[in-house]
Amino acid sequence: MRSLFQRLSEAIGPSKSQSKDEAKQRLKLLLIHDQVDLPQAQLDRMKAEILEVIAKYCEVEKDDGVEFKLNREDGHVALVSTIPVRRVTARA
Amino acid sequence: MAECIVVTSGKGGVGKTTTSANLAAGLALAGKKVACVDADIGLRNLDVILGLENRIVYDLVQVIEGECRLKQALIRDKRVEGLYLLPAAQTRDKAAVKPEDMKRLVNDLKEDHDFVIIDCPAGIEQGFKNSIAGADRAVIVTTPEVSAIRDADRIIGLVEAHDLPEPHLIINRYRPHMVSRGDMMNKDDILEILAIPLIGMVPDHPDIIVSANRGQPVVFEERSVVGAAYRRITDRVMGIDVPFPSFEADPGLWANLKRWMGLAPAREAV
Ligand SMILES: Nc1ncnc2c1ncn2[C@@H]1O[C@H](COP(=O)(O)OP(=O)(O)O)[C@@H](O)[C@H]1O
Ligand SMILES: [Mg+2]
Repeated sequence: MRSLFQRLSEAIGPSKSQSKDEAKQRLKLLLIHDQVDLPQAQLDRMKAEILEVIAKYCEVEKDDGVEFKLNREDGHVALVSTIPVRRVTARA
Repeated sequence: MAECIVVTSGKGGVGKTTTSANLAAGLALAGKKVACVDADIGLRNLDVILGLENRIVYDLVQVIEGECRLKQALIRDKRVEGLYLLPAAQTRDKAAVKPEDMKRLVNDLKEDHDFVIIDCPAGIEQGFKNSIAGADRAVIVTTPEVSAIRDADRIIGLVEAHDLPEPHLIINRYRPHMVSRGDMMNKDDILEILAIPLIGMVPDHPDIIVSANRGQPVVFEERSVVGAAYRRITDRVMGIDVPFPSFEADPGLWANLKRWMGLAPAREAV
């Protein structure tokens, strides 16, 4: 059982919310995001290079349906891409 | 060998000008010959914080454009030996100055000063580029807030991209009470995120406002805790190893009562 003092303490004492933890968590995400916030030109160049590599192994859709984005998910940022494959050309 | 230090932050209003004034005055108190340069063209402030606003004749842009000699534009502070101010132009645009101009100016100042302190304007554009052009190292000022730390991170990247050595950090407007109840990021939280060496912590304190009212840098105040914080920063800038006191929150009546009742830990150091 909580004492009267404890209850009083919870009611009128300083807040228990650790808002600094929220601040820190938000900041960490923000900074990851800022740091991977590539300019569009660079993102396009990366996309072209990655497609070139993939084209060595598969026949892929070059324009339509190719998607490259930096996704902000809870806890991290991910490079997500969808590349429709027509057929696999090389075999190891 | 003379050294040029730029005081920068990205975000406005976090304490660059206050830091520049107190660092420059602190170095002069320690016997160094110091020139502080207000690089905030169009929004000059450093003169007011130093209480030298009534003595301005020429400004930085006039020096760069050759309208006067550097010596004529430097204002000598009469309160302490060795402190000089080069004021910003108030009615000109940042575009009036280029990085090469600043580099030349800083080199001239380094010839007969031990330190050149540059008060950088907010932002990452022209004014920032001018300010870091002649600098040998940077001091980054931040407050324990998300937006200020985010901008500091950005600036740290830019400073390193300009081939300056790893910058040092000053955490300004620290509030021990808020830290000890978990409502403000503490020193370790901030250092974990920014990952550069700490060179000073300055509490949020009314003395700063009083000294700004008077035009008398707080570093001159023998008995002020913020004055002492700036004196420690000055020492560290000169390479003296000064320990960081743990700013302990005065827990206040409520926490004292709780502690007395055995409900709270002994003392929360921050
Ligand atoms: N440690 C502090 N405690 C209280 N007020 C402060 C502190 N540092 C700065 N300030 C106040 O914050 C405001 C902005 O400071 P200033 O040095 O002009 O920032 P900046 O040059 O980065 O824009 C000023 O009004 C100043 O008095
Ligand atoms: Mg300023």
